[in-house]
Amino acid sequence: MRLSMTKSSQPDLLALVRDPIDQAALIGHVRAAEDGAVVTFDGCVRNHSHGRRTLYLDYEAYESMALAKIREIAQQIHEKFAIHQVAIAHRLGRLEIGETSVFIAVSSAHRPAAFDACRFAIDTLKRTVPIWKKEYFEDGAVWADGEKPPAPLETRTAKPAS
Amino acid sequence: MARHSSAGYNSLVSLSSQTARVKVLFFGRLKEIVGQAEDSVELPDGAPIEALFSHYGASHPELARFRASLVASRNQEFAAWSTPLHSGDEVAFLPPVSGG
Repeated sequence: MRLSMTKSSQPDLLALVRDPIDQAALIGHVRAAEDGAVVTFDGCVRNHSHGRRTLYLDYEAYESMALAKIREIAQQIHEKFAIHQVAIAHRLGRLEIGETSVFIAVSSAHRPAAFDACRFAIDTLKRTVPIWKKEYFEDGAVWADGEKPPAPLETRTAKPAS
Repeated sequence: MARHSSAGYNSLVSLSSQTARVKVLFFGRLKEIVGQAEDSVELPDGAPIEALFSHYGASHPELARFRASLVASRNQEFAAWSTPLHSGDEVAFLPPVSGG
């Protein structure tokens, strides 16, 4: 019997969710007969931040734009790396210590592409996807320090400094 | 063809030219400063995003302090502060992102 090398036409699974992330479902989604590797990233809620004990986190997103930016990441990693499929889910709302806030699964025929793509996906997500977390401590709450997304260059000529 | 307003950038009041109604979204600490997540504003057609920000900065001085750390978006795409706005546009002011 001839082995079919045709890759599945199932689309990538990209989602913002309010319930716990089903990691097994994401892994199952990307994993197929032609894959030799599935690399995953599990981003979870840490119990401390800047030396203070964290009670819980609350995530909010500019949902339509966040999904669009996550789709861009999926498209980019397909272009840059020899991967098969990707699944990315980010959770919103209140998350307790130890819970998964973001989960990424990438499949590929050979492991280097999946490792590289998974790393690129989480690094890019943390820089470009409009999601924010508020950290709650025993004595108050703060919006987490974040990264300023890369902004387009200004087209207007800058005013002279004088 | 819509002409750019001659109104100053800090003015959202347009006496003669066409106006544009845009939707404005605030997130994270900006939402807390402004006290609302969403607003709808009328401004001169073609006015830049910067003018819209100045409008809110005038009534919320604390907001202006964050200007250097913010990025703006227009219709779900990161946009330069000089980007001209037109009716139906959706603008958001985005604090540094901290997902993951």
